[in-house]
Amino acid sequence: MPAKNSASAPRYALAIHGGAGAAPRAQLSPERERRYRIGLEAALDAGFTLLERGGSALDAVAAAVHLLEDDPCFNAGHGAALTRDGAAELDAAIMDGRQTRAGAVASVRHVRNPIELARRVMEKSRHVLLVGAGAEEFALEEGLPLVPNHYFRTAERLEQLEAEQRGRHVSDLMPAAAGTVGAVARDGDGNLAAATSTGGMTNKRPGRVGDSPIIGAGTYAKNGVCAVSATGHGEYFIRAVAAHHVCAAVEYRALTLEQAVRELLHEILPALGGGGGLIAVGARGRIVMDFSTEGMFRGARDSSGKREIAIY
Amino acid sequence: MSRPKLLALLGVGLAAAALAEEPRPLAIVIHGGAGVIDPAKMTPERAASYRAGLAAALDAGYAILEHGGASLDAVTAAVRIMEDDPQFNAGRGAVLNHEGDAELDAAIMDGHGPRAGAVAAVRHVKNPVELARLVMEKSPHVLLVAEGAEEFALEQGVALVPRGYFRTEGRERELGEARRAESERLHAASPPGSGTVGAVALDGAGHLAAATSTGGLTDKHRGRVGDSPIIGAGTYADESCAVSGTGQGEFFIRQVVAYDLCALVEYRHLTVGAAVREVIHEKLRRTGGEGGVIALDRNGNIAMDFNSVGMFRAARDSRGRRDIAMYRDAR
Repeated sequence: MPAKNSASAPRYALAIHGGAGAAPRAQLSPERERRYRIGLEAALDAGFTLLERGGSALDAVAAAVHLLEDDPCFNAGHGAALTRDGAAELDAAIMDGRQTRAGAVASVRHVRNPIELARRVMEKSRHVLLVGAGAEEFALEEGLPLVPNHYFRTAERLEQLEAEQRGRHVSDLMPAAAGTVGAVARDGDGNLAAATSTGGMTNKRPGRVGDSPIIGAGTYAKNGVCAVSATGHGEYFIRAVAAHHVCAAVEYRALTLEQAVRELLHEILPALGGGGGLIAVGARGRIVMDFSTEGMFRGARDSSGKREIAIY
Repeated sequence: MSRPKLLALLGVGLAAAALAEEPRPLAIVIHGGAGVIDPAKMTPERAASYRAGLAAALDAGYAILEHGGASLDAVTAAVRIMEDDPQFNAGRGAVLNHEGDAELDAAIMDGHGPRAGAVAAVRHVKNPVELARLVMEKSPHVLLVAEGAEEFALEQGVALVPRGYFRTEGRERELGEARRAESERLHAASPPGSGTVGAVALDGAGHLAAATSTGGLTDKHRGRVGDSPIIGAGTYADESCAVSGTGQGEFFIRQVVAYDLCALVEYRHLTVGAAVREVIHEKLRRTGGEGGVIALDRNGNIAMDFNSVGMFRAARDSRGRRDIAMYRDAR
């Protein structure tokens, strides 16, 4: 009975990213590269362990993103990029492909793990997106402790901000700090989920929201179609409705996931002037990770034994 | 070349020539929200007043198109007029959140580009659609929220107004009723997203644009953002299709309604009418979502549909159409 399908298609799969536009290869010291790899491995394996034990895709992506948020290497949670005022302002979204339920938060400054708050918005409120002080009020109502903003700030991000502010005034236009984190998964029951979390771009204007918390732009999941988490120059991903574009191309045009992702990243976004990358998992557990930047921190693991961590 | 092929080419050429001579179609479609007042409670005076509000916005937008203006200017003007009209849930007269404040969301998208701008959870901006347009035109960003959006408004020389400007007696009463109601009854008591305003337009250059503005839900949680300012959910425009939605925003976000509708037009080759039917009566209804959309394609085909009691709506085009309606039977 368990014929070809089970042999060729993995039952469950997880992919994660730690942002596109990775530091140019020449600038990434072996020591730093090692730290990134360790962080990616920890998140990948934690999420995958949940899937192995029969956990849901939703739990797997939440766990992976939570760990990446806590890791100061990545631009989300602790170690997020700083606004022009020197504060961290965080955005996150999570989507459950089962009933296309979703939760998201934007512009929060005191929530230790924005992905947990996004999940609460999905599960405990009748809303999808809460922003700013109202989102933090909801966090308190849900009993999530708030942390001071300096919890997120690291010496490295301060240096980046100062360099950005001293340097050429192109900062408003170019996303200096990539490193947005995200995860997509398919569990043993065939359910899909996606999650994304970010501090946005270094030296950003307070209140600026990118694609990560926008359902359909940076994050999207629909059972039977695909789950997507994106990273890159958010404004372009919003205009292109990037994550949903990939799923619509699969659903309406019968493109393969690879073709849909390639078209978005290498044709549609470049035509608009934008760059970045994304990870996606298809209805049958196929993982696609692609980018138009020099690199993208990424990892993938599935039940057929595949396990990879890569940067370039 | 075979004779039939040659004839076919000639035919295409003649058709193109005919098109070139005929002026391009102009069209504007607006809405003042789905889930309108129970027909039993709609007095003739109120109906006349809503109609007058819709007519003012429709004709102001259309006049811009007629004078050779851009669709972007037409949708901005139409939405701005409805923001200023206290009958609609946008700008002055917006519904109030749990704390009794108006918190406003708006988006605008220029299908030619495409470019987009949006603001969410602003509390002191008289015309949020104009701030959304400034985000699109004067910043490298698409979406600014809350205090950061208001800081940007000040930098752009937009004067802020006190919160009291937005509050009307009617909305305070609605909030009081909603607060008193059981949370379950509350959903029924306040028609979701009622009164959100939006516009889509096609100009003489063949460019489409869309804009949407709202105060969201009565008694909403502070910081709650609906579909209106979310590009692809409540507002979307590209070269071939423009959409503005109104209804239960959470469902519109989850289903990426506006973009999905355009994807059905582009990839499944549905007419806008068929795409609107599928999105509103099939996909949205299946999940329990309520609301409506207005849509326009590059040939000036108009679609307005809803699965709620009614939708304040109006359309005008260069073929002489001019409709204003509220309920299913085009009343």
